[in-house]
Amino acid sequence: MTTLVVKDQDPYGHGIGGWLSHVGAVIGALPGTYRRELTIHRRRTVLLTVLVILLVTYPILNKLFLAEFSRTTFPLPLPDDTVVTFMMIFGIMAIGLNIVAGFAGLLDLGYVAFYALGAYTAAFLASPHWDSVSIVFLANVAPGFPGIHLPFWIIVPIAILVAGTFGALLGAPTLRLRGDYLAIVTLGFGEIVPVVFRNLADVTFNFSLGPISINAQHLNLTGGSLGINPIDAPYLPFTNLVFNASSGYAPVYLGMFLLVIAILFARNLERSRIGRAWMAIREDELAAEMMGVNTIRTKLLAFALGASFAGVAGSLQASYLGATTSDFFTFSTSILVLIMVILGGIGNIWGVLLGAIALTYVDKTFLPYIGQQVQQIAPSFPNPAQFNFLLFGLILVAMMRFRPEGFLPNRQRAAELAAHTQADVEAKVDEIVAVDAEAEVEASIAEDPGIGLDNLGPPPGQAEASGDARAPETTDEEREL
Amino acid sequence: MDQVIQTFIIGLSNGLIFALVALGYTLVYGIIELINFAHGDLFMTGSMMAFFLISVTFKLTPATEPVTMIAVILLVIAAVMVATAAINVAIERVAYRPLRNAPKLAPLISAIGMSFVLQNIANLLAGPANKSIDNLFPTTNLLSAFGITAIAVNFQQAFVAVVTIPLLIALTWFVDKTRQGRAMRATAQDPDTAGLMGVDVNRTIALTFLIGGALAGAAGVVQILYNNVTVYNLGFRFGLNAFTSAVLGGIGNLRGAVVGALVLGQINAFSDRYISANWTNAIVFAVLIGVLVFKPTGLLGQQLADRA
Repeated sequence: MTTLVVKDQDPYGHGIGGWLSHVGAVIGALPGTYRRELTIHRRRTVLLTVLVILLVTYPILNKLFLAEFSRTTFPLPLPDDTVVTFMMIFGIMAIGLNIVAGFAGLLDLGYVAFYALGAYTAAFLASPHWDSVSIVFLANVAPGFPGIHLPFWIIVPIAILVAGTFGALLGAPTLRLRGDYLAIVTLGFGEIVPVVFRNLADVTFNFSLGPISINAQHLNLTGGSLGINPIDAPYLPFTNLVFNASSGYAPVYLGMFLLVIAILFARNLERSRIGRAWMAIREDELAAEMMGVNTIRTKLLAFALGASFAGVAGSLQASYLGATTSDFFTFSTSILVLIMVILGGIGNIWGVLLGAIALTYVDKTFLPYIGQQVQQIAPSFPNPAQFNFLLFGLILVAMMRFRPEGFLPNRQRAAELAAHTQADVEAKVDEIVAVDAEAEVEASIAEDPGIGLDNLGPPPGQAEASGDARAPETTDEEREL
Repeated sequence: MDQVIQTFIIGLSNGLIFALVALGYTLVYGIIELINFAHGDLFMTGSMMAFFLISVTFKLTPATEPVTMIAVILLVIAAVMVATAAINVAIERVAYRPLRNAPKLAPLISAIGMSFVLQNIANLLAGPANKSIDNLFPTTNLLSAFGITAIAVNFQQAFVAVVTIPLLIALTWFVDKTRQGRAMRATAQDPDTAGLMGVDVNRTIALTFLIGGALAGAAGVVQILYNNVTVYNLGFRFGLNAFTSAVLGGIGNLRGAVVGALVLGQINAFSDRYISANWTNAIVFAVLIGVLVFKPTGLLGQQLADRA
């Protein structure tokens, strides 16, 4: 239902340039948007502002006094810089998986493969691993040092390309499969990739074809089960700023920077022609195809773009930790990201972000803390931190049964999940659209007449209030209907 | 050549155990189109129970009288089959039945959750270390009675065949010939119509889980007596092997699951022997992906109702 759209829907042109100018326009209009929001939804905007400021300054506050405060007076532990950095990494992953599973409705159980590909991209391009060559470019190592040392800022785009390419390669033959078969194929891929990285530590082969002859003896391609370390930490060229585990809250802001770009990118994708095509496929693939959506191409794009987010997260993780091994990339990590997406609200960027933050906190701060307490009281009792996946498994079962749409649901998705028949779905979507149309009229009356609503889209944070008007997908919905 | 035959025999034993688990996948998929992700972990639960019954409760050792040993092993098989069948029915009731009308991926996600739950309960109760028992069977080569010494078939491999083959035959008979089996086939074909024809659909689905669970339990007992070791996360790898078998043979197709399991058992054995055990998992997954992508109906053709 979503493809018969007006041709000139994208005033900024196509490709990266168009996207950048779009982002520029959004940022340029932020003050106006903010003022408008402040007049329309005063309380919510103030609350959100305070929340954003708190989140952004959290690492500094934590260093200044919060950590001390939580140790002495506050009953619950607060996440430290490492945990917050991982919140950012998992946030990027959850947003990426949300593109595949939330927007396009394709269950990817092997998402960790792309995370691994990102991590190993960083490991290959910024470490002494290839010690027979020496390529040092804008890196924090002395010239002539063995190995390839490229800066993080070049590795990230490469990781995006690598992960995206593999996403497309995996997607190409598999996307015609039924949903559950696709899930199993992705699971298989997710298991094969770490096995390949683990096993290619000692490769001997002879290859000759006419004049070409390659002869390799005991080639260590991937570092085997030991993995690759040390990996160069991200580093701001021409400064002393290094982002590794021992540089305090600096990596948190690096992660936050990448996360904000990921959010902007995902939100723009969601409201683009492709984003609407994804949702159309998710709701009814056959109908979408009838309406002219190229389903294979659209699903491939979802796979490739979703994978590229994991590539970014992986390269950040490996560079930040300074090491990578195939053991990091297990099925349970794929499922952890899936739980973040489901818990937060599949299809809603803000929801999955909340899921990522909450679950990383539980996994890396809360459970270890409880474990410590339990160990003090009863040393023989099993440590709860080792049984995190017992809790996560129960969460999955309970969420599917009681709240499949998650805690911050995407309304359209919630309607699909709650509805048991096609007629129900249609009735609910109609209802939502009707409510939105009404609210939109009200909103446009209150609105500053100089600002075109369609070009700007809603300001950040708007989709969080689920009862509110003009969440992006329904704006589009309404325009098209 | 002897080596090839020896590998084939190992593959055959692997395949027979896979078959018992694969039948659970294929029965459930055939009837409610759910990849019962927790099934492999149910199998692991069975092997854990067998471990405790054999080594803690009954304290079987290689020195135990043969008659007592056979009686105890039969008792353990029966007890574990009852227990895993009950667990599987309970899981269906709690985690899958409420989602029967939900989108198809919802019960799959619920099953993944159940898989982690079973795995971690085993980890909690038994600990993360490998659990091993002594080999209870004599190590003599059964073929030496016929004057063959180059190839060995030991008691363990014979035991696998003695337990699994009757179960496979019994299951086929049950599904093909009994009234309940007919209800299962009818429900698999079209649950709504089956319901209208007087089949109690919920009860039939529960029965399917009961049978699948019992077979997984039997496979668990056979597994620990054959390999002498189990561990809490055994189910993931084993379950995927079994699921691959089911898909390879054509999901929903009982004979297909057995054929697929026998083929996959050989793939496992030959890969372990001639490539490297490190690559076996990757090869199995490659087979799974290959079958799903190029021949999703499997070797013998799937038997599913074409529900839109």
